[in-house]
Amino acid sequence: MSLLEVENLTKKFGGLTAVDNLSFGVEEGEILGVIGPNGAGKSTVFNCVMSRYDVTSGTITFNGDDITDTSTHKIVNKGLSRVSQESDPIDIFPVAGNIRLFTLPNSLLSLYGGADMEEIASYAARVDLQDKLEETPDELPHADVRRLEIAKALATEPELMLLDEPFAGMNQQEIRKLSEQIESLREEGMTMIVVDHNMSGLMQLVDRVVVIHNGAKLAEGTPDEIAENEDVQDAYLSGEEI
Amino acid sequence: MSSLTLIFTVLAAASSRASEVFGTIRRTILTPIGRVFDFLLAPVDRAFRPLAKVFNRTLGKFLGTVTGLQLAFVLTTFLLLLTGGIWGASIIAFEPGEGLIALDIRRPLAYACIWAVFAMGWDIQSGYTGYISFGHSVLSGGAAYTTAVLLNEVSSTLPLYVTAPISVFAAVVIGLLIALPSLRLQGPYFSLITFAAVLLFFQATRAFDILGGSAGLRITRVIPAADSFTRYYLLLIPMLLIAVALTVLSRSNYGLIFTAIRENEDAVSAAGINPTKFKIWSFLISSIVMGIGGVMLTAAVSNVDPTQFVQVDRSIEMIAMAVVGGIATVLGAMGGAFVFFLLKEVVLNLFIDEAALRLFVLFLLVVLILVFARDGLFRKLWHRLGQIGGEEP
Amino acid sequence: MIGAIATAIIQATLVSAVYALIAIGFTMIFGVAGVLNLAHGALLMAGAYVYGIVVMRNIVPSMTYHPAVGVIAGIVVVAILSLLLYELLVRWVEDNVVITFLSTVILAVASTEFLVWIFGGQNIRISLIEGQFALANARVAYYEAIGFAVSWIAIALLWFYVTQTDDGRSILATSMSERGAQLTGVNIRMVRAKTWIIAGALAGLGGMFLGFDSGLSPLMWLNPLAVAFIAVVVGGIGSIKGSVAGAYLIGFIEQITVELIGNGFRGMPTLILLVGFLLFMPQGLFGREFAHE
Repeated sequence: MSLLEVENLTKKFGGLTAVDNLSFGVEEGEILGVIGPNGAGKSTVFNCVMSRYDVTSGTITFNGDDITDTSTHKIVNKGLSRVSQESDPIDIFPVAGNIRLFTLPNSLLSLYGGADMEEIASYAARVDLQDKLEETPDELPHADVRRLEIAKALATEPELMLLDEPFAGMNQQEIRKLSEQIESLREEGMTMIVVDHNMSGLMQLVDRVVVIHNGAKLAEGTPDEIAENEDVQDAYLSGEEI
Repeated sequence: MSSLTLIFTVLAAASSRASEVFGTIRRTILTPIGRVFDFLLAPVDRAFRPLAKVFNRTLGKFLGTVTGLQLAFVLTTFLLLLTGGIWGASIIAFEPGEGLIALDIRRPLAYACIWAVFAMGWDIQSGYTGYISFGHSVLSGGAAYTTAVLLNEVSSTLPLYVTAPISVFAAVVIGLLIALPSLRLQGPYFSLITFAAVLLFFQATRAFDILGGSAGLRITRVIPAADSFTRYYLLLIPMLLIAVALTVLSRSNYGLIFTAIRENEDAVSAAGINPTKFKIWSFLISSIVMGIGGVMLTAAVSNVDPTQFVQVDRSIEMIAMAVVGGIATVLGAMGGAFVFFLLKEVVLNLFIDEAALRLFVLFLLVVLILVFARDGLFRKLWHRLGQIGGEEP
Repeated sequence: MIGAIATAIIQATLVSAVYALIAIGFTMIFGVAGVLNLAHGALLMAGAYVYGIVVMRNIVPSMTYHPAVGVIAGIVVVAILSLLLYELLVRWVEDNVVITFLSTVILAVASTEFLVWIFGGQNIRISLIEGQFALANARVAYYEAIGFAVSWIAIALLWFYVTQTDDGRSILATSMSERGAQLTGVNIRMVRAKTWIIAGALAGLGGMFLGFDSGLSPLMWLNPLAVAFIAVVVGGIGSIKGSVAGAYLIGFIEQITVELIGNGFRGMPTLILLVGFLLFMPQGLFGREFAHE
């Protein structure tokens, strides 16, 4: 059984159909890549999965549970975590504080629960931020802020992570470093869905690819299969290298 | 339209000139004064450092960590408050036209304690979560009116330990009635509902006879006629206990989550925490505090009426006090309440006779603080104190 | 009974026009400048007091100009006050919603205290023109009819300005997308200034006619602010049509309440209506969905 199953997902905004009858699944332990041109609906799919938007129709199942209408925080507590496209850390908390928030239990009875400094440092270490725990996000370079977003998601101890444009705004070296960190996460048993524009970085990282165009699934297969798929090449006529 | 451009150019030139002047003042006057203070206060910081170390190790987790100077400041303040019944009896002040006079400010000090409770109660919810409530006087007013109605309709000799819990409970119920439906909404719409709530309650108190109409309800003094000294301490102690309790809460996970709700509510959801649950919880805590404050106020007056207790101005005054001291710092709100109230009732009273003018000046001051020192006076002071001397022990 | 209903309907129709004027000013600032100006009610109040100062003998005995002068003075002075409000205060705090909220509401309360200090707390009567006439079984005061006419003329002028002139359309464009408007050469600062001036003018005008009805009082900014806010929520943010619809809904509910239950309960059903809308239809009648901002 797939860890995450999206069935016939449709999302409309007024007259605009952003996601059109999309279905795909994610197997445990794999890294699934989701690619598509700008505005194809990729982020909207994530927003629907995390219940940031209500779906127009379709179902989303995680570990056998129907999470279509479940609220965001409950979904996170079930083991599904997401790294947003836009970094939005809390600037008045240092890195440690930002991560700590994501370790707090959802309980009115807990005044002092959550991770201690050691555990927070270990989350930070997994993305190489352990030396910057006391700094505030506005003092960090862009790549570090993106890593902080990943550390936050890791702190919720997810089974499945959605990474929305993790490589955005990074140079080649940073991309390589982040890819390595994502690979090591997979070795630890994490399942991931990665959305990005950067084909070269993505194709080497993922096991399978789903291509979305105009909100609908255009193609699905291994990176090699997709690279040779003519429909996909047509859709990317404006020139992304695959 | 060209006259408009002219107006603009003039205004723009004026405001840039103003900021130039301000910069010069800061450089030539304020900074040197600051350095003098640094020099004078550094030894105090060093002297208190060992004590601060002990404090941080033992109580730091619950109350927050401090530097030597900050600890000295807090201890001095609490000492002043605890001895207020004594030195408050005779304060030397200068009144234009009369020269030096001696004032008994124990009554304003006692009232300031009540308003400090209101300010802190408002702050722990609105200041921290960013969901600004304009209707907090509904909570304290609800408690006060419950006491008044009980005394008038049931028995005028009901003791405090009967009326108080019922009144606080009433405040909590009203708080839940407001919070449960509206905290699901975005900030401004929540604020609008609280604004509507206070207008509604205000109209209701004047429309329904059982609530006494605009004249209000007379009540017997809930605590027996106490002298200034006793009354001050009867109101100071609960206020200090509430201050400590709320500070502890604000330093715990509650404070972290409330602040996160204000800064980035989506992040709270993404962290697996239910923001609505905590928003309502903050309102509940706030309601309890406001209820206690409402009961405290009934203990100090002989009449429960819409103007003193419910009118939206009262809500705004609470907000002004918290703003002056520092939003989202419990002790800052407490300090702000004292500063605001004492300015209003004591200091400005020396120069200005009309209450309305005093309030006008004070509110303008608050607006200036919002523009130029939006963190609040006590927060700024706290940071400044923390910088003198250097490292945290 | 028929008389009561006729009176209610006619009164509602007349008063709602003034409410609409007030709501439109409020929603313009909210929709275009993104600012919830809680001092809007205070601007209204200023308009009424300016008229009182300029025209009424019992306020400033040396000033007793013709009512028409008073009306113009009210509009102009408040338009300027509104611009000053933006330049001197809002411009410095509009980056932070909470601070804007707090500073405008405190300014509003400060203006109450100012007026109490200068004029005292009692209610002062102002009037435009005395006399009433009969209309379908109801008595209608001349000023109420004039208020109705003036409001609708103002609304029509505004509608024309915003939809037909380049100047006005730039304001509408800015409300939809500031970046987009900027890219097409719109001077954002100018647009902002014009919006505040227009909102101020509408507030001043509306305030005066509310004043003729209820008299001058330092607390008279509270209920109109609530009405404006509610009308905007009910009608949908940034929508002129919505503000008018919301204003009329409120006006009618108020008048029916006054006729059937009594004046003391006037504002209550409106407030309950607001709560209902916020809970069940937060996007308003004409607004955009904002459930997931």
